[in-house]
Amino acid sequence: MCGIVGYLNKSGAVCPIGRTMLSMLQALGRRGPDSAGIAVYGPEDDETVILRVKLGEHTVPAGRKDQVVAQAETLARVTQAVVTGEYLRLVVEYDGQPAALQQAIETVAPDVEVVSIGRALEIVKQVGSPDNLDATYGVAEFVGTHAIGHTRLSTESRVDLSHSQPFWAHGTLDIAAVHNGHITNYHKLRRQYEMRGVRFYTENDSEIIGMYLADRMAQGLSFDQALRASIRDLDGSFCYLAATADQLGFAKDSFGLKPLMVTETDEYVAIATEELALCAAFGQAVQAREPGPKSVRTWRLTAERKRQKGVAA
Amino acid sequence: MTTIDCDGKITRTINQEIRRLMEEGVEEIRILNPAARHSLGVGLVRPIRLVFGGSVGYYCAGMIDGPAVSIHGSAGWGVGEGMMAGTIIVEQHAGNGAAASIRGGTVVIRGDAAARTGIAMKGGTVIVGGSVGYMSGFMMQKGTLIVCGDAGEALGDSMYEGVIFVAGQVAELGNDAVVQTPTPDEMQVITEQLARYGVDHPDEFKKIVAGRRLWNFDKREWDVWKAAL
Repeated sequence: MCGIVGYLNKSGAVCPIGRTMLSMLQALGRRGPDSAGIAVYGPEDDETVILRVKLGEHTVPAGRKDQVVAQAETLARVTQAVVTGEYLRLVVEYDGQPAALQQAIETVAPDVEVVSIGRALEIVKQVGSPDNLDATYGVAEFVGTHAIGHTRLSTESRVDLSHSQPFWAHGTLDIAAVHNGHITNYHKLRRQYEMRGVRFYTENDSEIIGMYLADRMAQGLSFDQALRASIRDLDGSFCYLAATADQLGFAKDSFGLKPLMVTETDEYVAIATEELALCAAFGQAVQAREPGPKSVRTWRLTAERKRQKGVAA
Repeated sequence: MTTIDCDGKITRTINQEIRRLMEEGVEEIRILNPAARHSLGVGLVRPIRLVFGGSVGYYCAGMIDGPAVSIHGSAGWGVGEGMMAGTIIVEQHAGNGAAASIRGGTVVIRGDAAARTGIAMKGGTVIVGGSVGYMSGFMMQKGTLIVCGDAGEALGDSMYEGVIFVAGQVAELGNDAVVQTPTPDEMQVITEQLARYGVDHPDEFKKIVAGRRLWNFDKREWDVWKAAL
């Protein structure tokens, strides 16, 4: 099962996206009672980078926040550091490689994990329902230009924050993905990546999608081309949504084994595993279509994006 | 007219209300705000008119025997699966596995239907105003599938019996499916059936039936079996 949802405001204007995402996720809650999460893309800022760091599993050890901040300050100038739930949200001035900052922070302790790094991207996810996610992080109040979200029914790997989705593509800026299905050539692909030195953080096959896309894009493919290539390179049943700082797209496996409904107007595109989630967020007059097997679509924010600091909670 | 508003009700309550009204002898029920939820109007085994005022989710009107169902929107996966008798009319599109395994009755989809439309049909008629996805009519055993638009890959794969009519392009025929030209009598039946439901269609149809080479194993036809299995 699992439920995936996505929304993009075509104009590129910041909108109350948290409320829309939450109502779609709540409608799909029964498809994935194990965990819930969203990746929100706020207004992009050339000066700063936002990090979401998991400080510990279940409990946050005393002094952990200060250790992480100190470690981040070895490479970047920290302008904000706020703890909510198991997360530390850091806003930093940094123009180096995201992977270097991530590695520096993760030397603090084995259970410290950088969950997202981006100029626009912020991921919050945790075990439990979408309602719980909102109670912890106030997701309904999030604003942004586009977002992807997930409700998880775990099948093959453990249920904890790290194994929840969305997955940030580690070491990149702003690339994230959510997935419904199974990537059956995961182990083979993972070994190939590991031989090249890529670190995996979970046993969850979905983690590889963002890694794969980032790798393809690093080789020179566009976001759209990377998604199209994945139809051939990834095996198994999948529908996934992926996003970058200014794009959002979906890909569907060769047999269309997982459902996905899309509705599009001049103003926005909204995508959800089931039509009932679109009805919940946009009313019953919504005109939704199910894309066929092997389909890929990507959308880009059309207008110049509003650039302002620190809007997401 | 009797109505049921789905807002605020769980699906079980809605289905129980439909049954209770049927017991009372109500002839037509209008179901408001279905909001694409799943399993509405399933397992109804007596004639009744059901009108859904919007899109429905998965398995709507599955396993019915007699009702006349009208869906004023789209249907999710498996609409009418396993129906015995009655009619289902979907005003817009249908998801995967529409009319799967039906034994009788008529399913009309005015828009497109997705993959595996009419899979394992054991009777009845399926009419699609638009196109159908891959593996439609797979392992069909009886009945008629009429497609006014195009058909996806593996059309009529491993059919036993039954007949598929397609007006548009066939992306690829399934194993052992063969194309024939419909007889004037068959064309007349198609035209009448489509006219009855007000479905526009081109003048010409291709007819697809089983080549019957998979009916019995013959080692001299190993290549046919290898492809099918």
